[in-house]
Amino acid sequence: MTSFLAENIGPLMFVGLVIFLLLGYPVAFALSAVGLLFGFIGIQLGLLHPQLLQALPQRVYGIMQNDTLLAIPFFTFMGLVLERSGMAEELLDTLGQLFGAVRGGLAYSVIFVGGLLAATTGVVAASVIAMGLISLPIMLRHGYDKRLATGVIAASGTLAQIIPPSLVLIVMADQLGKSVGDLYRGALVPGLMLMGMYAGYALLVSIFRPASAPALAASARTLRGWALGRRVLSSLIPPVVLIFLVLGTIFLGIATPTEGGAMGGCGALALAALRKRLSLTVLRQAMSVTTKLACFVMFILIGSTLFGLVFRGVNGDLWVEHLLTALPGGAFGFLLVVNAMVFVLAFFLDYFELAFIIVPLLAPVADKLGVDLVWFGVLLSVNMQTSFLHPPFGFALFYLRSVAPKAVKTSDIYWGAAPFVCIQLLMVGLMIVFPSIGSVSHKGLDTGTTMRLDVPVSDDFESAPGTFELRPEDLTGYGPPKTEPKADHEQ
Amino acid sequence: MKSWLALAGLIDATNRRVGHAVSWLILLVTLVSACNAISRKAFSISSNAFLEIQWYLFAAVFLLAAGYTLLDNEHVRVDILNTRFPIRTRLWFELFGTVFFLGPLTVLMLWYGWPYFMVSITSREVSLQAGGLILWPAKLLIPAGFLLLFLQGLSQAIKLTAALAGRHPAAALIDRHAAQEEAAAAAAAIREHSGDGSRA
Repeated sequence: MTSFLAENIGPLMFVGLVIFLLLGYPVAFALSAVGLLFGFIGIQLGLLHPQLLQALPQRVYGIMQNDTLLAIPFFTFMGLVLERSGMAEELLDTLGQLFGAVRGGLAYSVIFVGGLLAATTGVVAASVIAMGLISLPIMLRHGYDKRLATGVIAASGTLAQIIPPSLVLIVMADQLGKSVGDLYRGALVPGLMLMGMYAGYALLVSIFRPASAPALAASARTLRGWALGRRVLSSLIPPVVLIFLVLGTIFLGIATPTEGGAMGGCGALALAALRKRLSLTVLRQAMSVTTKLACFVMFILIGSTLFGLVFRGVNGDLWVEHLLTALPGGAFGFLLVVNAMVFVLAFFLDYFELAFIIVPLLAPVADKLGVDLVWFGVLLSVNMQTSFLHPPFGFALFYLRSVAPKAVKTSDIYWGAAPFVCIQLLMVGLMIVFPSIGSVSHKGLDTGTTMRLDVPVSDDFESAPGTFELRPEDLTGYGPPKTEPKADHEQ
Repeated sequence: MKSWLALAGLIDATNRRVGHAVSWLILLVTLVSACNAISRKAFSISSNAFLEIQWYLFAAVFLLAAGYTLLDNEHVRVDILNTRFPIRTRLWFELFGTVFFLGPLTVLMLWYGWPYFMVSITSREVSLQAGGLILWPAKLLIPAGFLLLFLQGLSQAIKLTAALAGRHPAAALIDRHAAQEEAAAAAAAIREHSGDGSRA
C-alpha cells in the first residue's frame, strides 16, 4: 500500500485535484488543499523534506513581488472605468450608423467594435454586455437572425481575451517566463485574423442567406453627413488615442506592460472625467471589482504554487513529461493532444485556472520539444478563448443571456456560438500548420531552436531558514518574479 | 447559536470595511505607477522606494481583501457538478471545504507566517535594492491577510452550520452568482447612461 502510494503519488495527486475541484469549493483553496494533503503524505512517506511547508510564507512573498502580474489590476481598472463611463455604447452606436447601410453592416460594426473594445479594455464582460444591450435589440429589430446576432456578439466580446492588453496573455507570459510584450506582439496577428474570419463568416451569411443579415433602413440612420463625421471623430478618437498610449508604448518598448497599464488606468480616469461621468459610484465600483478580481487571481496563483511545489517535489512533473514526450509525432503530436485536452478542459475551467494549473505542467515539455514558448502561449490563448464560447458554461454566453431580451432563447445563443467555436478551432489548426502566425521570432515549430527559461533564483531563497534543494527549473512557472525583473524599470 | 451568529456578523462587517478601504489602494497604486513611469521616461528619475511601494500596495490589496472576496463569494469555483446537488448537500460540501480546505491553509500560513514576519522585524531587514524600503510591513501582510481570511472562514462556517440547522438563510451562502451580479451592475450602468438622452 505504502509503496503503491509512493510510486503513484503524482497521478494520485492529479486525481485528487479533479475530485477536489468538482466539489465546487473555490479553486484557489481546493488547489492548496490538494497541495497540503499530498505534501503531508509525501513528508510521511519520506518523499519530501518536512521544511517544505515551512517555506510557504516565502512563496507567498515571492508572489507578492511579482511585477508582471501587477499589470492585471491596472488593465482591469482601466477597462472597468471605460465600461462604466459609456465609451463602448457611443462607439457601437456610431459605427452602427456608419456601417448600417451595408447588408450585414451591423454584424461588421459589432466585430469591429469588439476588436476595438478588446484593445482598450481587455474585459470580456464589458464588451459582451455593452454589445448585448445596445446592438442586439437593434439587430433583432431589423430582422437579423437571432443566432447570427448573438453569435457575433458573444464571439466579438471574447476578442478581449486575445487582443492585447488581454489579461490572459499577462498570466500566460508570467507562467511561461516570457515577456508580456512578446506575447502581446505574438497575439496581434492571430487576433486580427480572427476578426477577419468572423467578418468573413458574416459576409458568407449575408450572401447566402440575405434575409438573416439585412441592411438598416434609411429611416433608422439618424445621423448623416457632417453630424455623422463629427460623431465618428468624437467617439473614435479617444479610444484610438488610448490604444496608442497603452499598446503603442508597450509595442515600441517605451513602457513596460505594467507602466502601460498604469498610464492606461489614468487615461481612462481622465477620459471619464472629460465626459463628466467620473462619479464616486463609478470609481467605487471599478475599484471594488478590480480588488476582488485581483484577489481571486492572486489566490489561485498561491494555490497553484502550493500545488506545483508538492507536485514537483514528488516528481509529478516527470510523470507528465513522460506521458507527453512519449506521444507519437513528436512536437506535432504533443501540440495536437495538448490542444485537444485544453479544448475539453475549457468546458469546465476558465482561463485563469487553466493558465495557472495546466500551463506550468506543459511549458517545460514544450520547451524540451523545441516549441517556441511565446508562440505556444498564443496558441493556447486562442484555444482558451473558446472557453468563453462553449455552451453551457461559456462566460460570454452567460453575460449575453443576462442582458438579452426574453425573445431570444438560450438555445439560440448556444447554437449561435457554434460556428464561432469552429472558427476558433480553425484558427488553432492554422497556427499549428503555419507556425509563423503568432510567433514573434518566426520560428514557431523550429526544432532547431532551444529556448531556455532562465530563471533568476531570488536572493530571498538563499537566506531561507530551511534549505530544501532548489533547482532553478523547480521555479519555472511557480514562485518568485521571473519575467521583467526590476532591472527593466531601472534602465 | 445567537452569539455565534453575532460573531459572524461582526467578522463580516470588519472584512467588508477592510475590503472597501483597501480597494482605494487600487486607485493609489495606479497613480503611483503612472507617476513612476512618467518620471522614469521624462526625467530619468527612478526611485527604488517608489518602485517597491507599487508591489507593497498591490500585495496589500490582494492579501487584505481575501476575506472580503470570500464574503462576497467571488473566489471562482468549478460549479459544473455542485449546482445540480440539493441545497443541503451543497451546504455540507461548502462546510466541508471551509473546514478542511480553507482551514488548514490559513492556519498553516499563520503558524509559519508570523515567525517569518518576526525574523524580519527583529533583524530590521531592509530591501537589498539601493534606497529600498524596510521589509517587515510587507511581511506583516502575510499573517494579517491570512488572519482575515481565517476569520472569514470561521464566519462562513458559523453561517453554514446555522443554515443547516435552519436558522440562517441558505440561499445567501451558496446561490449568489458573482458574475451574474457583476453583469447586472454593468447593465444597470449602461441603461442609466443610454437613458440620459445621448442616444435614441
